[in-house]
Amino acid sequence: MPCPPEAPGGRRLPPLRSVGPLLQRFGIVIGLGAICTVLAVMTPNFATPANLINVARQISINGILAVGVTYVLLTGGVDLSLGSVVALTGVVAATFAHPGDYPVVVPILLGILAGAACGAANGVVVTWGKVAPFIATLGMMTIARGLALLVSGGRPVSNMSPQMTRLGGELAGIPIPVLILGAVAAGSWLFLTNTRLGRYIYAVGGNENAARAAGISVHRVKMFAYTVCGALAGLAGIVLAARITTGQPNAGVAYELDAIAAVVIGGTSLSGGVGGVGGTLLGALLMGVINNGLDLLNVSSYYQQIVKGCIIVGAVWLDRRNKL
Amino acid sequence: MNTTQTFLPLALAALLVCGCGRQEGDGRGAGDDGRPVVGVSLLNLSSEFIVMIDRAMRERAEELGVRLIVNDAQRNAERQIQQAESFIAQKVDAIVLNPCEVEASSPAVERAVAAGIPIVNVNSETKAVPTAFVGSRDEESGRLAMEYIAQRLGGAGGIVMMQGYMGQAAQIRREAGAREVLAKFPKLNLLAEQTAEWDRAKAMTLMENWLQSHGEKIQAVFAQNDEMAMGALLAIERANLQDKIIVVGVDAIADALQAVQAGRLDATVFQDASGQGRTAIETAVSILRGEPYEKEVFIPFQLITRDNVDEFME
Repeated sequence: MPCPPEAPGGRRLPPLRSVGPLLQRFGIVIGLGAICTVLAVMTPNFATPANLINVARQISINGILAVGVTYVLLTGGVDLSLGSVVALTGVVAATFAHPGDYPVVVPILLGILAGAACGAANGVVVTWGKVAPFIATLGMMTIARGLALLVSGGRPVSNMSPQMTRLGGELAGIPIPVLILGAVAAGSWLFLTNTRLGRYIYAVGGNENAARAAGISVHRVKMFAYTVCGALAGLAGIVLAARITTGQPNAGVAYELDAIAAVVIGGTSLSGGVGGVGGTLLGALLMGVINNGLDLLNVSSYYQQIVKGCIIVGAVWLDRRNKL
Repeated sequence: MNTTQTFLPLALAALLVCGCGRQEGDGRGAGDDGRPVVGVSLLNLSSEFIVMIDRAMRERAEELGVRLIVNDAQRNAERQIQQAESFIAQKVDAIVLNPCEVEASSPAVERAVAAGIPIVNVNSETKAVPTAFVGSRDEESGRLAMEYIAQRLGGAGGIVMMQGYMGQAAQIRREAGAREVLAKFPKLNLLAEQTAEWDRAKAMTLMENWLQSHGEKIQAVFAQNDEMAMGALLAIERANLQDKIIVVGVDAIADALQAVQAGRLDATVFQDASGQGRTAIETAVSILRGEPYEKEVFIPFQLITRDNVDEFME
């Protein structure tokens, strides 16, 4: 359902959300419901409030990354550098988060800035450099990992201030990472559905040439998407570092794949223009529930990997069939 | 032709020259200043443990008047074989290999042996037999950790085990050592076992899930490395169960030592990275000087608790 490009300067745009996307997400909602029901029957510990909060906390990092990469996938691009950016930003934040060094906003801002810088660099190479996103961000994947190792000297950066690790803790019984994910998702949903720039992102992904002909600055829209994606990866890196109380240069390996999987399970098209944040959240939730359920059932590690792969493919398959 | 088109290849070429230039400084051919040259291929210089081996080797080489060419195989056995081949082509005096894999790194050893260059394996083994081996018996670490748990629990109680990357030598051996002890104490009940892939964040998630499914039945956690032990510990502390669950890791990384000193982590097992690195270089030097050497050197593990942690802090 590629959305027609809007004329720039057209003032009020009709909101994108309608019954259509809801129906499209039907497949994944059914899948998620079925898996939850099975788990609730098979293990007494699944459907407890404590465990559900647990699942929410466990999806928060992948969720933040997935929301970020939704922007990029909607433009028809891809970002493979997320995992490495998570490591880099975690290390950068941890380096400036030793107790008594700086106020806690400093490491947080620097981490997000580092992520945004990586994203912006991706954007420049993809737009003005005309390098395919797969290659550009693959390069960044290696560069950011190298930078993370360089900044940390190959060792985990520990000794973080309690104010910083607090980000991995709770507020009024709700894990702070979950609150952050909630804010990021809500903000992104509002942005993508209700602002002109948000609609341009869909337009560029739907039909780049048409968008350009309509006067949209495709370069700027893409730059924006990659930069937001990088900044959110930075935020995820900070949350991860706070949660595990160190900045780990080796953290985040293959996180980009989990994030992209969550987005695609959630119904966003890899070729761009279709999808949104709501589906992405459902996708991340589905992956989190599977992971949690298999652990609760004590399924052997070998089977876990096979089952996870089958469920990811199955969920997308079900979703696609529903749309036909 | 526009300027970017000419400029870009030039810039890339310059970058390449700079990059190569740096390696060159470390690795010119053998013996141009009379010092013996030892080629080193390491598993992965982004792992803290291997970085410690690397530092110890460089120090000891400096003391013994040996020049090192250090290459990082980045966990890639194929790259490791190429590195060994280029050492052979450079006619180094000896090779120290920190193997990526038991089978896949074997050709590196075979080629060195065939070329008549002495090769010392450090930290882990290959199927092919090298000139000498320096390392530790990983079973011992699993045994020490599980014996500590058995003793703390009085030989009875519920345990969970976090495994490393499935199928890696360290995972298989640490687990074998732990199971030896479990077999001796039938009342030690292994409630669950699962891989957390040596990773702190994954271990935290796994522990949170286990606390949901087994709750108060868990009395001890054996994590096959410290990263996972730290992850488990964080999950346990967030659930306020730190007084009820014993957590033990392996490797004695800096973070774990601090946690032991602070009374948060119960124990870890020290694998002597520096000892392995130093001994590997000493063995290589003995071989190339024609002095007597031991074909297999095992550096012992040590259990670290709050009682003796101060000896191990830097």
